[in-house]
Amino acid sequence: MSSTKRKSDDNESDTKRKRAGLQKVHSLPMLQNLIRRDPASYRDEFLRQHGHYESQRAIFLAQPTSPNTDSFAELVGFMAQVANCYPDLTATFPEDLAQLLLQNHSVLHPELREKIVTSLVLLRNKDVISSVALLQTLFAVLTATQSKQLRGQIYKTVISDLRSANAKTKNHKLNKTVQAVLFDFVESGKEDPTARAGMWAVKLTRELWKRGVWSDARTVEIIKEAALSANPKVVSGAVRFFLGVDQEREEAEDESSGDEGPDLDKIKHQVLINKKKRSNKKIERAMSQLKRKEKSKNKPSALNFSALHLLHDPQGFADALFAKHLSRSNNKLTFEQKLLVLQLTSRLVGLHKLHVLQLYSYLLKYLTPRQRDVTHILICAAQASHDLVPPDVLEPIVRKIADEFVSEGVAGEVATAGLNAIREICVRAPLAISAPLLQDLTEYKGSKDKGVMMAARSLITLYREIAPEMLQRKDRGKIASMEMKETGGGGLRYGEERTGQIEGLELLAKWKEEQKAAKRAAMGLPSDAEDEEEEEDDEEAWNNWEVEEDSDDDETGWINVESDGEIEISDSEDEDDKPKNRKQKPSKEEKTDEEKEQHEENKEIKAQLQGVDDELSRLTDLATTKILTPADFAKIEELRAQAGLAKLLGRSNRNEDAVDEAVLTGGVKRGKSDKEARLAAVAEGREGREKYGSSRGQKLKEKAHSTTNKEKERKKNFLMTLGKAKKGQKRKLVEVRRGLKDHADRQKGKRRRK
Amino acid sequence: MSKITVAGVRAHVKELLDYSNNEKKRNFLETVELQIGLKNYDPNRDKRFSGTVKLPQIPRPNMSICILGDQHDIDRAKHHEYEFMSVEDLKKLNKNKKLIKKLAHKYDAFIASDNLIRQIPRLLGPGLSKAGKFPTPVTHAEDLAQKVVDVKSTIKFQLKKVLCLGVAVGNVGMTEDQLIGNIMLAINYLVSLLKKGWQNVGSLTIKASMSPPKRLY
Repeated sequence: MSSTKRKSDDNESDTKRKRAGLQKVHSLPMLQNLIRRDPASYRDEFLRQHGHYESQRAIFLAQPTSPNTDSFAELVGFMAQVANCYPDLTATFPEDLAQLLLQNHSVLHPELREKIVTSLVLLRNKDVISSVALLQTLFAVLTATQSKQLRGQIYKTVISDLRSANAKTKNHKLNKTVQAVLFDFVESGKEDPTARAGMWAVKLTRELWKRGVWSDARTVEIIKEAALSANPKVVSGAVRFFLGVDQEREEAEDESSGDEGPDLDKIKHQVLINKKKRSNKKIERAMSQLKRKEKSKNKPSALNFSALHLLHDPQGFADALFAKHLSRSNNKLTFEQKLLVLQLTSRLVGLHKLHVLQLYSYLLKYLTPRQRDVTHILICAAQASHDLVPPDVLEPIVRKIADEFVSEGVAGEVATAGLNAIREICVRAPLAISAPLLQDLTEYKGSKDKGVMMAARSLITLYREIAPEMLQRKDRGKIASMEMKETGGGGLRYGEERTGQIEGLELLAKWKEEQKAAKRAAMGLPSDAEDEEEEEDDEEAWNNWEVEEDSDDDETGWINVESDGEIEISDSEDEDDKPKNRKQKPSKEEKTDEEKEQHEENKEIKAQLQGVDDELSRLTDLATTKILTPADFAKIEELRAQAGLAKLLGRSNRNEDAVDEAVLTGGVKRGKSDKEARLAAVAEGREGREKYGSSRGQKLKEKAHSTTNKEKERKKNFLMTLGKAKKGQKRKLVEVRRGLKDHADRQKGKRRRK
Repeated sequence: MSKITVAGVRAHVKELLDYSNNEKKRNFLETVELQIGLKNYDPNRDKRFSGTVKLPQIPRPNMSICILGDQHDIDRAKHHEYEFMSVEDLKKLNKNKKLIKKLAHKYDAFIASDNLIRQIPRLLGPGLSKAGKFPTPVTHAEDLAQKVVDVKSTIKFQLKKVLCLGVAVGNVGMTEDQLIGNIMLAINYLVSLLKKGWQNVGSLTIKASMSPPKRLY
């Protein structure tokens, strides 16, 4: 009906149009094009189409399931394209579309549905509707629809829309609304294990986090809520987010920064060759892209806190995770899912130094070599330990690992894993092991299995650094036992936080003193005169610190010559130098100077009297009266490296790291256990080597050649060779005769014929 | 600013003390805070740093400290007139989260007897460590008064969710030299903690509680 009406309309207005100089419109795309150029003149045409659209819509609404929707889809597309030209006429159009989609998305023809979604996106792109309105419609459909295709389309649309909205600056308002919607998704499905909306919330959030669009605490809160939901899929998605997404984000960043921009040289060359094309534009575009890239390179990196750090209440979260998913009454999760949750919980405990004391007894149950995925359980045990966990809680774990994994009867790999796990626990919580047990375990340093031996040794090295008094005397080593003698072997105490100091400061102080003394000796001044040039030195150190940082090498040469004596000292003395000795050594070098000697003697006595206190105050003097320049810090690093003191343990907070599986297995190659593995090794060895064979054959292969006799022989038909083979069995008559004759001759006593 | 000099720090400290002690004297002892802004620091890739250091002078003498002790330590605390709580008192809290939170808020730091401290997590749960106030151990052999001084003069640098941090390094009641000593030690220690040293330091500012900030670097 409508098409006939349209035709008659067209005929009537034909003459009018000719008079007005307007073109006749044959199709919707053409009209669309014309309207875009000149909306005012084609208003009538648009009005007609609009009326047409209204009537089609009425028909459609009366019978939404009808399969014949092509013309309606076409009209919807047309309206969306030109809606921005007539804002007054199409005010309700977006609203209508949204309603149409919301109410009928389950019965609509897929093509029409797709058209409506793309039209809505188009309206958004033309700024007819806001992002918020679009996303609200789409989210409502997303949760309600059954169609996988539609959900996929919506997912992509949402991601791209949010990305473009946040491309230049963060659109906080939009992010906030979307996050609120997603939070509601998660919240609504919290108690209902069949609710699926949470999945989409996790999926969207994860993608946006990965792309760096969202990186705030509110995002993390959504996922946190999802991790506590009742649906196992939502839970595992959320937990995976926490465990892996930051790495993903980093990788994505690397990728985006890694891909090179356009090759400017290449484009310039192409332009030279192909002069006809719009060459200048191309170059300009490339140039601007490169410029943008340069700019972004110089920009300071964004504040990338990992999701785990951004959690608002880690203690509450860890408690809730444990209570909800790991307590014994809950069996909804599979073992793998539980393992994931366990990993997250242990990571949280280690990272934020939480107290979840039930976790350790829970882990205890799984710590047997026969347990499935036991390395992961061991990892969890290690991650969950930190120095504030009461040692009496961790001790059973260490003991169980020692009993179950490290004994004479078990395989080497098992013992390696056990010992390494114990080491990882002890790195984080040094008090978790008792001295007798530690000494038992260190006995494995003589094991024939390489992995076990190395693991035991690493345990020894660890305790040499943190608590040598717990080791057997013979295991302590020279450095540690000397240090122990000096400090009196105070030992570790639970809850004690060791106050830090500027590491290597004493080395710097000594070095400065020596420099000063040397300078004065050169100038012939007494050593305790105040020097004025210190300030000047300072200036210099600040002025060229940028340079110094880069060019360490040329400096080291100079230092090595100057501080020979000092190296000697640090070798014999090790970490903590006694004040007395330190003052003695320089005096030895300068025996000729009488004044100096006397002074040193005085100092010696003083040092003996005041002992360590004096030393401490002198150290703090340096740190409290001077600002250490970058050059000073560089010097400290150098001196420490010279003294072999690059001890890292005190500075790094190990409890924040995740434990890698390779650390536990020790990275030692396992023996080739079965035939398949052996064959694989063989195949690997063959890869890339040339086939064995005669060198002559290979030489021949290289060039074209006629058939050799050998080849002919090899390829000769078998039947042809048969006769010859048979014949070969008989001797020729001549030969027989010769043989007989020879025999007769020999009988006569003649010599054998030659 | 390209560099920081001792003379510059001294001048700023002088101004600051002058402002707080003479120009606008307040009715309380103002604390001097060192505020640090970091740069070129990616908290996801670089390790988050944390460290404690003992300053030569106590920055906040009015810090309230509670002794969680056994009988012997309680007697000592009574003798020195420190506030204290016994195991029974702690048990009375009954792991009640609100009460423990209240307790953690009430004091600035805790000291616990060596033989008691292992039970603290069981007795009090995570409340104290959540507030960052896990007790410091003290043995019977150690001098309690000395320990209290140690705890009071120890400051902690810890990066939280933002790239700036502030620590109390002194008060306006201190002499200029004392304050400078504290500030210098704090700065030097902080820079030694950072991976790239001074290249990671964006800004250094000192400020008394009610004074305008003075930028050092």
